[in-house]
Amino acid sequence: MTTWVDACATDDIDDEDLIAWHHGGHRYAIYKTDKGFFATDLMCTHEEESLEEGLVMDCIIECPLHGGRFDIRTGEALSAPVSIDLKTYPVKVEGGRVFVALG
Amino acid sequence: MPDVVPTNAASSGVKLDKKSLKAIAARSDRPGLVYLVQWSLGLLVTGAAVWWSVGTLWMWPAMLVHGILLSVPSYAMSHETAHGTAFRTRRLNEAVLWITSLIYMEEPLHRRYSHTNHHTHTWHVGKDSQMPFDTPMGFGGWIAEITGFALLRFHLSVFFNLAIKRYTPTMRAVAPESELPKMTRNARLMLAIYAAILAAPFFGIWWPVWLLVVPRILGAPVMLLFTLIQHVELQENAPSILESTRSFRGSPITNFLYMNMNNHVEHHLYPQVPFHGLPALSDAVRDQLPEPDPGFFRTNWEVLVVSLRRSMGLSTRAPSIRQAPHMISDGGPVRRIAERTM
Repeated sequence: MTTWVDACATDDIDDEDLIAWHHGGHRYAIYKTDKGFFATDLMCTHEEESLEEGLVMDCIIECPLHGGRFDIRTGEALSAPVSIDLKTYPVKVEGGRVFVALG
Repeated sequence: MPDVVPTNAASSGVKLDKKSLKAIAARSDRPGLVYLVQWSLGLLVTGAAVWWSVGTLWMWPAMLVHGILLSVPSYAMSHETAHGTAFRTRRLNEAVLWITSLIYMEEPLHRRYSHTNHHTHTWHVGKDSQMPFDTPMGFGGWIAEITGFALLRFHLSVFFNLAIKRYTPTMRAVAPESELPKMTRNARLMLAIYAAILAAPFFGIWWPVWLLVVPRILGAPVMLLFTLIQHVELQENAPSILESTRSFRGSPITNFLYMNMNNHVEHHLYPQVPFHGLPALSDAVRDQLPEPDPGFFRTNWEVLVVSLRRSMGLSTRAPSIRQAPHMISDGGPVRRIAERTM
């Protein structure tokens, strides 16, 4: 059963940026882009590096360690050295809060 | 806990607030395109000097200058594009990676993946696939490194292995399986281009020899003097980049040729920062880093003298460059720490 969990305020994230969000022992990345808010796993699928200091460009997140890129909307691994997709999570915005669907 | 603890700012205890880092690491096509234009114009000038001096003694200094301008920026741009930081537009980045790797003479994806591994395990014995010489370095190692023949032999073996689909354990360890066929395709195409260049004189076409082959051989030692001082005499197996890596003071000429990579500690701390952001990054974290070593010439001179003295069994304390404690001795036998991995 899907549970919508209140993750942060919309103002907590700068434009074209992300924050790390820890919930239930898991680490998530929540993004603010010009296409809206999105959520993925926080750790790069290549070598367990946190994406928190990665660059958000358009709807792409680039890993800060090796430069692997993922599509934030789908989690698709776009360019080397990443080859495994990121897990994504549905997001909704209500009353200035960002909710992530878990479970 | 993850199996791998990458060597970077976090493992080195260096901090920079996210807003500053994001501003410094911002991507743009413009600085890279400006660099390409400046570099191309420079090559036109030095290439013209070679062309007009062929047949005279002046052709040799002309080919040396042209070779330095061909070799050092091709290394630097190939490195920057392997990181994916030279340009914001990915296709542009990949096209320039291909061409500059052709000049640098390494298959581009092998360049990217072995360098990825170098950043994860910087100067870690048995893990870093880009340790180009044995440590501590003696004079024989210095000669092998600076002439460029050791690196050429390694890169040619990579080309041939990839071309015949003989993937080494290191290749399989650093590159995803899905990338190996692309690496083979690149290697075959590049070997064909090199073969065409070498065959040209047999058809009476000599310009590739004077403008590419000889300059590339003459320029290689200067390129390797830049790369040599990135980690030589510093600490193996250190989690901190501050102990394993060296920055040195730049000048306008070295900064251009090397694309600001004299800020090498800073680059390893935050590899997502493009070449044009490195001076600002250096300013932002300066109070957390050791002083950079002296300039290109002084640092290289001290490395050469230390290597020579080590081979002669003499004391190895350098006057001013940073050295790991175990690199400094009063003389005598040298205990090998690392064997080259390339």
